[in-house]
Amino acid sequence: MFLEIKDLSVKIENKNILKRLNLNINKGEVHAIMGPNGSGKSTLANVLAGKEDYEILNGRINFKDNDLFDLNIEERAQEGMFLAFQYPVEIPGVNITPFLHSAINSKRKRMNEEEIDNLSFAKLLKSKANDLGINIDMLKRSVNTGFSGGEKKRYEILQMSILNPDLAILDETDSGLDIDALKIVTDGVNKLKTNDNSFLIITHYQKLLNYIKPDYVHVMVNGSIVKSGGSEIAAEIEKDGFQKFQ
Amino acid sequence: MNSETLNTLDSYSKNKYKYGFVTEIDSEKPKKGLDEDTIRFISLKKNEPDWMLEWRLKAFSKWKKMKEPKWANLNFPEIDYQDIYYYSAPKGFDKKPKDLSEVDPKLIETYNKLGIPLEEQKVLAGVAVDVVFDSVSVATTYKGELEKLGIIFCSIGEAIQKHPDLIKKYLGSVIPAGDHSFSALNSAVFTDGSFVYIPEGVKCPMELSTYFRINAENTGQFERTLIIADKGSYVSYLEGCTAPKRDDNQLHAANVELIAFEDAEIKYSTVQNWYPGDEDGIGGIYNFVTKRGLCAGKNSKISWTQVETGSAITWKYPSCILKGDNSIGEFYSVAITNNFQQADTGTKMTHIGKNTKSKIISKGISLGKSQNTYRGEVSFLRKADKARNYTQCDSLLVGNQCGAHTVPYIDSKNNTAVIEHEASTSKINEDQLYYCRQRGLSHEEAVSLIVNGFCKQVLQELPMEFAVEAQKLVSISLEGSVG
Amino acid sequence: MNIQDNYLKNKKNIFFSENKDIQSHREKLINIFENDRFDKKNNESLKNINLKNFIDFKYKYLIPEEKSVINNNEKNSYSIVSINGQCSSYKDDKIEITKILDEDYNDFSKNDIIENNDHFVNLNSLFLNSGFKIVIKKNNNIKIKISNIITDDDLTIFQKNNYICEEGSSLNLIEEYENRNNSTSNILNVIKLEKNSKLNHFLIQDNSPNHNLIITTHSSCKNDSTYTQKVYNFSEGYVRNFHYSELIEANSEADLQGIFFLKDNNTSNNKTFVKHLAEDCKSNQVYKGILNDRSKATYFSNTHVDQVAQRTEGYQLSKGVLLSDNASYFSKPELKIYADDVKCSHGSTIGPIDENAIFYLRSRGMSKIAATKILISSFINEELSSIDNEQMSEIINKKLVRYLSKVK
Ligand SMILES: Nc1ncnc2c1ncn2[C@@H]1O[C@H](COP(=O)(O)OP(=O)(O)O)[C@@H](O)[C@H]1O
Ligand SMILES: [Mg+2]
Repeated sequence: MFLEIKDLSVKIENKNILKRLNLNINKGEVHAIMGPNGSGKSTLANVLAGKEDYEILNGRINFKDNDLFDLNIEERAQEGMFLAFQYPVEIPGVNITPFLHSAINSKRKRMNEEEIDNLSFAKLLKSKANDLGINIDMLKRSVNTGFSGGEKKRYEILQMSILNPDLAILDETDSGLDIDALKIVTDGVNKLKTNDNSFLIITHYQKLLNYIKPDYVHVMVNGSIVKSGGSEIAAEIEKDGFQKFQ
Repeated sequence: MNSETLNTLDSYSKNKYKYGFVTEIDSEKPKKGLDEDTIRFISLKKNEPDWMLEWRLKAFSKWKKMKEPKWANLNFPEIDYQDIYYYSAPKGFDKKPKDLSEVDPKLIETYNKLGIPLEEQKVLAGVAVDVVFDSVSVATTYKGELEKLGIIFCSIGEAIQKHPDLIKKYLGSVIPAGDHSFSALNSAVFTDGSFVYIPEGVKCPMELSTYFRINAENTGQFERTLIIADKGSYVSYLEGCTAPKRDDNQLHAANVELIAFEDAEIKYSTVQNWYPGDEDGIGGIYNFVTKRGLCAGKNSKISWTQVETGSAITWKYPSCILKGDNSIGEFYSVAITNNFQQADTGTKMTHIGKNTKSKIISKGISLGKSQNTYRGEVSFLRKADKARNYTQCDSLLVGNQCGAHTVPYIDSKNNTAVIEHEASTSKINEDQLYYCRQRGLSHEEAVSLIVNGFCKQVLQELPMEFAVEAQKLVSISLEGSVG
Repeated sequence: MNIQDNYLKNKKNIFFSENKDIQSHREKLINIFENDRFDKKNNESLKNINLKNFIDFKYKYLIPEEKSVINNNEKNSYSIVSINGQCSSYKDDKIEITKILDEDYNDFSKNDIIENNDHFVNLNSLFLNSGFKIVIKKNNNIKIKISNIITDDDLTIFQKNNYICEEGSSLNLIEEYENRNNSTSNILNVIKLEKNSKLNHFLIQDNSPNHNLIITTHSSCKNDSTYTQKVYNFSEGYVRNFHYSELIEANSEADLQGIFFLKDNNTSNNKTFVKHLAEDCKSNQVYKGILNDRSKATYFSNTHVDQVAQRTEGYQLSKGVLLSDNASYFSKPELKIYADDVKCSHGSTIGPIDENAIFYLRSRGMSKIAATKILISSFINEELSSIDNEQMSEIINKKLVRYLSKVK
């Protein structure tokens, strides 16, 4: 199994958020999680990425034959886990290009691959940015600083395509994008998709799933997955909302 | 704070100082302690004219009556001025060597190790360097080329011999000997330092730089720098400093005076990396520095940029007196303190002329058990119509045993002038750390990256050649491992 | 006359001068004066003060003939007229008013936040001749309005008031200082907020040019309590507003705000100081000043965050508008921070009324003076509109109109 989440219960500040959650993802699969606001979707994404504020009450997670809890944030990232944040944070003064350059090299180091030099990296970055319709001027700016909501999301996808992860978690990457941007972003995802990597796509609209075809759709309500199936579930939700799952 | 953060912090405080080696070289010193004889000895060694000796003795008699200024937020044992050597020169330096073949190879090697090659073929491209070892200037590069433009760049000792008129007129004109006890002390015993004169209308085509090194034990370094930019001229000047690791505290009390005439601009940058002491607070340099610039003429500009990472104690307020109408003063500062370091640094902008402008950007980072204070004064005098100041000082705390303090003094006596001041203090942002680490950067790399970003507004003011160095230095002062 | 002689000569007229402990404390204070001699050079909080009025003064105090008046007309609402700093005793099931006692003096003198370096507080302790103590009993919600009256010229009032808000109580306190005679008041309010209590403290100051007012507050807050202070200074005489607040237990808050309006030769010195000594506390220090003619003001603010005071939020703002060439404003917003998980900031601006705004209003047909006045009002609009007591809002608006009528 590629990613296996078993009976996961998670608490933050005396509040139980995830309750005995189970989810399995195999190589080459695209999964979508849908659920109302506050159901715990971002919490799940953050627990996978290793954010430290959470208390794990129960359960285990396996990722590429590792016990995920043995790895810290950066080790998970270097192992190929990528989280496109719902709310990417601004880091003033830290220039995008060297930031991503050190990110890719720390991953290569862990994989015992050769580091990529300045010039080749700059080329790579430019071509990927081009693909995503990102203006080259933007690459001179500080990480997320002063970006519009849509720009932030696009920039998350750019980072994803540079780092080429094994498991990409997209936390509401579709929200805040207009239709053209959505097409570009989902194009980026579809281009990246191979038989060797997997996607976990978090959204609460069906719209995104018109562009990225998921193999599985899960409905998350109140910290647990209450229903799983194919894309027909997404259509159900679009029609009737989450009401009937609650 | 989670245990990982604490571990990282712990590794930061095991900071290693790569410039801590000692050069084994015989040096010549007078007896320890300070009295008129010491001053006569220095003056004689430098072969100075009588008027210079008189000047020194006058300053000394002022110093005897003065107490150390007490405003700073610093804690250190009383300085025993009689337990210090006031002059130290490598043997055989009675005269400054004419060229490098006369210089002791050990010295050349020292500077090679510090990354400041002195041999002509290797000198830093585009940068003219004056090198000061303990109390004497060792070498000045690119001299000939500068002379063609009429630029004087030499040691202050040489300037006293060759340009007495300029020295008599301007030395002490911006920082009077009796200003406070450290300036009086420096005026009495200063040994070497740099002198720069840029003639009217000349834009100095290269960076001028002085590199200071304290080597001898128990020795104070009292350098004096004087930079005069005549009408319409421009110069960018950079100063760097290091010292060996020693368990005793050593005193460094420099005076730097800048004068910019009409339409002239002086850009003065410092990368201060004196030995900061070890992780238990033993040893390190006491850095008591007076730097002041006078914007004497209309439309003149003086800009100070400093990156302060070294010294056990830093006491330093590079200031601007904005006398000429439309003149501009700037101060950009990064101060990082770690372990038991203490820094009390900032600036003073005195607006006298009309339409004068000043800008202050200060970034303080405290780690370990250190104390870091920004202290700044902005004053608008009665006649400073339409003057403006903008101040921004931000402090970052890494760890919970250090302190960050902001003490601005804001004084306005003119109702057309505008002062704006902003300050903030916070800890390093956990969300930013999380974001960087999610992209695969280690905790240490993430901290270093975020701190460098925090300092960017200041670092980008440094001359290109040094900006990269300074960024590395910032990371090193955080990391503990030498990059 | 030096301070010691002055004290010895008037001892019979000064509170607690028979008490041995207090005597020895006062001897210490006298020593401090002797050693320091009000050295302006080393004590910036003495900037702009005409010290002669305060060191070399003629002590005079009269015990009031009339008793002060306490009215409890409305439910939970009291109005008090204090005469020469004194107040009659009163008691019901909600509040209790008494004289201050030796133990109140001793209790305060142990406190070191302002002792030693604030000479005016020390003078108050030394020459203490009046004051009272008000206790708000548990869980009551009370309004008190105090008017301060001084009966004769040349009086020197040294007054110490204690306020204690017991657990769960809430007090709305309005103090009015409107003295028209040639006298000096040095008042120290010592305020204690017990758990979960709340004090909204308004000080309205509007003295004539020959009256000097020195007012100092020292408040300390326990768990979940909130102290809010709003100072409105319209005085034509000298006023010193120094207000200290200590957040000694978790989750407490201090909010110290002030606005002052100066003209002619008047001077005002202001200081706020918040010491965060516990976790999860908040503080706010905001002063705004308008200075006309040859007036001068200083404002010192300070947020001190102790090492244990994690998750502190501290905010400071200082704003000054200079209306004339001869006015001057000095401000020093200080942060002293020893804990790492904090959010502290300060901002400060000093300048003229925005010329672009004046231009804009004039282009809409307004005269320059009218535009200036509107912009002054808008400068303090936030402070004025946040007054939720209609009667007080009216009083303050009247005073503002009076100040504006002198602006040319
Ligand atoms: N740091 C936190 N402290 C307290 N509650 C939190 C925190 N983060 C999330 N929560 C709560 O957890 C629940 C799930 O949040 P989240 O995972 O963001 O939901 P979703 O992404 O599905 O909208 C919400 O009720 C939210 O308020
Ligand atoms: Mg979410």
